[in-house]
Amino acid sequence: MSDLALARLLAGSALENVELHRRRVNALNVYPVPDGDTGTNLALTMRGIVDALEGSTVTARPQLAADVQREATMAAKGNSGVILSTIVRGMARVLGDASTVDGEVLAQALRAGATSAYHAVKVPAEGTMLTVIREMAEESERPDVRRLEVEAALARAIARGDDAVRRTPEMLEKLRESGVVDAGGVGLVELLRGVLHGLTGEPLPAPPEVSEELTEESIHHEESAYRYCTVFLVEGRAMDLDALHASLEPLGDSLLVTGDASVAKVHVHTDEPEDALVLGRAVGVVDDDRVEIGDMRSQAAERERWLTQLHAAAQAAATEVGLVAVAQGAGNREILRSEGAAIVIEGGQTMNPSVGQILEAITAVNAERVIVLPNNPNVRLASENAAEESTKDVHVIATDTIPEGIAAAFAFAADEPLAANVEAMEVAVASVLAAEITRASRDATVDGVTAAEGEFLAILEGRAFVADPSIWVVLDALFEHFAREGKTYVQLIRGEGAPTEDELRERLSDRGVEADVSDGGQPHYPLLLSAE
Amino acid sequence: MELTRQNTAIVLDSTSDFVEARERHANMRIVPLYVLFDGEPLRDQVDIDSAGFYERLAAASSLPTTSQPTPADFLACYRELVAGGFERIWSLHLTSKLSGTYESAVSAAGELGGDRVRVVDTETASLACALLAEAIDRRLERGTTDEEVESLVDRFRRENRVVFTVGTLEYLQKGGRIGKGQALAGSLLNVKPILSVEDGVIIPVARARGRQKALQEFERLFVAETEDRDGLRVAIAHANAPEWIDVITTLVARARPKATIDLVEPLGAVVGTHAGPGSVGFFWFQDEI
Repeated sequence: MSDLALARLLAGSALENVELHRRRVNALNVYPVPDGDTGTNLALTMRGIVDALEGSTVTARPQLAADVQREATMAAKGNSGVILSTIVRGMARVLGDASTVDGEVLAQALRAGATSAYHAVKVPAEGTMLTVIREMAEESERPDVRRLEVEAALARAIARGDDAVRRTPEMLEKLRESGVVDAGGVGLVELLRGVLHGLTGEPLPAPPEVSEELTEESIHHEESAYRYCTVFLVEGRAMDLDALHASLEPLGDSLLVTGDASVAKVHVHTDEPEDALVLGRAVGVVDDDRVEIGDMRSQAAERERWLTQLHAAAQAAATEVGLVAVAQGAGNREILRSEGAAIVIEGGQTMNPSVGQILEAITAVNAERVIVLPNNPNVRLASENAAEESTKDVHVIATDTIPEGIAAAFAFAADEPLAANVEAMEVAVASVLAAEITRASRDATVDGVTAAEGEFLAILEGRAFVADPSIWVVLDALFEHFAREGKTYVQLIRGEGAPTEDELRERLSDRGVEADVSDGGQPHYPLLLSAE
Repeated sequence: MELTRQNTAIVLDSTSDFVEARERHANMRIVPLYVLFDGEPLRDQVDIDSAGFYERLAAASSLPTTSQPTPADFLACYRELVAGGFERIWSLHLTSKLSGTYESAVSAAGELGGDRVRVVDTETASLACALLAEAIDRRLERGTTDEEVESLVDRFRRENRVVFTVGTLEYLQKGGRIGKGQALAGSLLNVKPILSVEDGVIIPVARARGRQKALQEFERLFVAETEDRDGLRVAIAHANAPEWIDVITTLVARARPKATIDLVEPLGAVVGTHAGPGSVGFFWFQDEI
């Protein structure tokens, strides 16, 4: 088998297993906010590598390794995706230089992956993917493991990885509080398990059941790696829905088969909608008039909008400094543009943009110096990686919320020098108190605050602050805190599920602070607040 | 010739917003501009006072417009003063870049003949003109000369400072008093622009979110550009926003205890038409006396 064919096989198997575990990894998300996308980010990052290998014609192993490193970097999405890309980079460097791969080379590769990942993170935290890759490297470096064939050595490393994952709650308070193991760690082990099964040819073990009840609504909140949302009805007699479910599983994700033995509704995201229909026809009659195939990503149109934005930014008058921001919610993107952002990338808490996309934006902006506002902790690492990849002078201001991003953009002056902008914007970010109100996606105790599922939960400066079934009680508590801190001005940004502007204005008058209300349109967060 | 309060008059136009000029000073006169609601001309501060104007503005279906005094209005005023025995008239007006008022006054002075009237383009607006009138008047009180007044006017043009903010930029934009291309237009945030008048035109200085931040910006500029010395004269003007008076008075007392607050006035109909409700202006000038 050629190196390229082997790389395709192993990467494909890795992706397949990550896909199998994607929903479980998403559900492990510890924050009580419905943003569980670690599995999705790992899958999308891996898919970027797989797609690149499918289109590659490179035969030389060093060149192949270099291509994989480049693609991993560009496809990386979210913090977990970025860390994965650094692990892949480290490993690919070693594997690309090796003539044959044995236990010794595997040990070197895993060590290189671990080192590379630890270097990528400013403050490495234990109980995360970092711990898992480091322990796998340590296992593979044991003298008895080094002497093994690559398959056996990798199996030992994976067993150690499973063990490390089990111990992550002992290392990370947040995991212990939520009673879960680290999502990124699970994803990493499953990815490497996919590689191992690619090597041995043994079938992948079935993933554990995800207890979370799925609804069509909830799965549409996820970003799918597949293109077509396919829905159809099957009518038959004594249909085996479990068997139908199993047959559809390999076609895609977000699979739901509901109904009974006589009529079933199928929902699946897939690149092959016709194949899904064939499987439906195998067990019953599919009503052709009621088949819905939606192009979820309408990739062409989306790509065109993106290119239009890039083109407009490139054609705009050159400025001393350009501003690139990331935000969810059409209103928030408009606000950021009105405050001087040349390009606003869609994304944030969920739907994290890839390093490649951020880099495209940085490249397009008509300025040699660029400031990036990630506006979310999940986007920061990808922004920093994009900054490193760029040939321009790029500075990432570590904004963790949209209100912080708006405060920073407000202080941005395109014709002032980079250093002056960075200083003014960092001062602006430091001077605002940012808060977010979301709804707890599950019962949880976070930072000492207990929230029941569905309750409004306020997160103040990144820490849970208060939870209550009434958004007004939560707002009262926040406003009292703002007053204690001597804040005199509060901006509220309405998102999905927010009270109306009139309700907000009425409830917030006579508070002794000025309150402004804007429409942000962000999902998951009915209100974002900043107090100055 | 020695100029005194007895032989020298000061003429202002109503955009000086110096409502009490006539009551305070027997040698001062105000020539009104006009505000037009649906084409009906009203004399600023004569037919319509500040309170009446904001009431009418709130009820109006379309924004009022304004027009400058005619040369005849100025001529009538100058003639009345001459008949009253005044030998010199200093006629002080808002920047000619925002209004034709100065041109009307110049034309009336030409019509009057002789060299009794000295028309000044102050290159600023509102209570800044009133501060200049008060500074000239202090010199008239002790006796002065044309040369001294001229050098005062020159220094005043260079050194007087106005910073102001508006409730919304809409009025300045609709009235065409600020360029549409200004960087501060177009924000979706509720931004308080901090504006100034320099070389006779309105320029943006800074932007602030919320009133408190605007006030902090006022203080920053005030402190940066003044010293705590006797003779520092301050004026405050507001458009139906009296809540600003106390906070700016407090700011001045805290930051520059030796400053004197000469004037606190509501913005009249004409300036109010272009600045809009909620506007506030903060003016200062370091005089030697």
